[in-house]
Amino acid sequence: MTPSRVVRRVLSSAAIAGLLATAAPDSVAQNNSRQAPFAPNRLWDGKTPDFRGIWQTRGTAYVNVEGHPGEKGLAASRSIVVDPPDGKIPYRRDALTRRQTNYRNRSTADPSLKCYQASVPRATYLATPLQILQSPGNFAIVYQENHAFRVFHPDTRPHFDATDWWMGDTRYRWEGDTLVADVAAITDQAWLDQAGNFHSTEFHVVERYRMTGPDVIEYEAQIDDPVVYVRPWTLRTALYRVTQPGARIVEDECLEDADGVRHHISPSDPRNLLKADYSKWKQGARP
Amino acid sequence: MTRALLAAAICAVAAAGSWLWRPLLAQSAAVPSSATGAALPRLPDGRPDLQGLWLKSAGGFQGLFIGSLDGTNFAAPGGGGRGGRAGGGPPAAPRYEYTPEAEAERQDRLKRGYEDPEARCHLPGVPRALEQPAGLYPVQIIQDEKYVALLHEAMHDVRIIPTDNSPHPRNYWAWDGDSRGRWDGDTFVVDVSNFNGRTWLDMAGNFVDENEHVLERFRLLDRDTILYEATVTDPTVFVKPIEMRFTLKRVPQEQQILEYSCLEGERSLQHYTDEDGGKKRRAK
Repeated sequence: MTPSRVVRRVLSSAAIAGLLATAAPDSVAQNNSRQAPFAPNRLWDGKTPDFRGIWQTRGTAYVNVEGHPGEKGLAASRSIVVDPPDGKIPYRRDALTRRQTNYRNRSTADPSLKCYQASVPRATYLATPLQILQSPGNFAIVYQENHAFRVFHPDTRPHFDATDWWMGDTRYRWEGDTLVADVAAITDQAWLDQAGNFHSTEFHVVERYRMTGPDVIEYEAQIDDPVVYVRPWTLRTALYRVTQPGARIVEDECLEDADGVRHHISPSDPRNLLKADYSKWKQGARP
Repeated sequence: MTRALLAAAICAVAAAGSWLWRPLLAQSAAVPSSATGAALPRLPDGRPDLQGLWLKSAGGFQGLFIGSLDGTNFAAPGGGGRGGRAGGGPPAAPRYEYTPEAEAERQDRLKRGYEDPEARCHLPGVPRALEQPAGLYPVQIIQDEKYVALLHEAMHDVRIIPTDNSPHPRNYWAWDGDSRGRWDGDTFVVDVSNFNGRTWLDMAGNFVDENEHVLERFRLLDRDTILYEATVTDPTVFVKPIEMRFTLKRVPQEQQILEYSCLEGERSLQHYTDEDGGKKRRAK
């Protein structure tokens, strides 16, 4: 299901008022930290933890990281905000007003609806998978949605933050078997989810990727933005390995319709195919 | 990145002439010799290590190329010329021979440059993903025993190519098609099919349809040079295959790939007038 369809489904529900209902942090992800450390496989250098594979979160935190009650066809989600303990993003008062405005306008204002790159950390908990590409000295994540990718650079050099990026500038290091990534220079046009949670250009994320089993990566993002939040906060979720044989990241390219509005169309959708009918060029996608 | 920025980048590149031309001069001496094969960097599986950050440098066209693959180079002095500078050097740009119906379509598209899908930030397809103006947008290659992944700065285009020569899927039609690779000795050979028929080959109306089929060959000539060759066939568009060849040069390690936010900051269509289907008013 595409995010835009999810939004439409959410919008169609009267239960939307319940979105602010309190939800406790995701206990599954949280409990992992108490287990004995898992020792991941190594790359061929014999040292680097091997995170390669196709991964995807479960659940629907992409609708609202603070949790939501769900509806028919859309599972409820608990808050993935684990700090503060109430599962709420610690907004400044004026920023909270802006969030509510974003929320009311989400059916048109969400940058994701325009097929923009999802930004960090949002790209991690989308409804579509990601693939980790790795070799000794190289680490990159390709996100299926809008074919966004991030090349992780070693933190031996400072951020390239002369401008703002949609996917940020990522510098990483290994702390034992945990990959720690420092992400800066993210545009303030990006959102954290479909509910309008947002940040400014002062947004700063420290991500931690840690395998807690052969098929699970615990993902944690410590977030700070003194312009928007009263204090740093943390979200945590889990990425599960996509184990189906032959599974792969497929191309996700939006097509514009005759009005110039973009829509996600699967490569398996025959509308994607022109069949050598050149006149169709002018007609758009007609979803 | 917009065409305006592109133009700015071109000016910057032109100003930094020595940076652009030095690799080109080196190029003419570098064409194929794999006598160095034994000294190539390799992965543990014995395959040549294609990893790194690469920039198209030369071949087919001399240096900066804006325009049509059939030879019109808007970036060349006078904006014309056929296949780059005269005499010597790498082979000239491919000439396309269209079927009559496709030729009519091509002539029409020449007048409809604003419909170039890249101007609308769409994926460029193959081989256009690599066949970008020389010296502008690098490609990051990450490789293991199962995949060779091409992360293109331009359009943040991604191709994760399996190396197992697996079959193409059915009922799948993509801008970049479906790529299946295999190693033929030290050459990485990629068979690309399953195109959706929407891509153009350049900014000048050259195009393919969904019957496009590409055979690509990546060969590491030395530590810092990949020779790229592509054979493009499309029986409903071209009467004979198109052969393309150019080299990728390794980018110095202090440089890195940047983000290309096209759709997020789309400005290209502003450069076209209302008449052209764009957003800019034509000067009266």
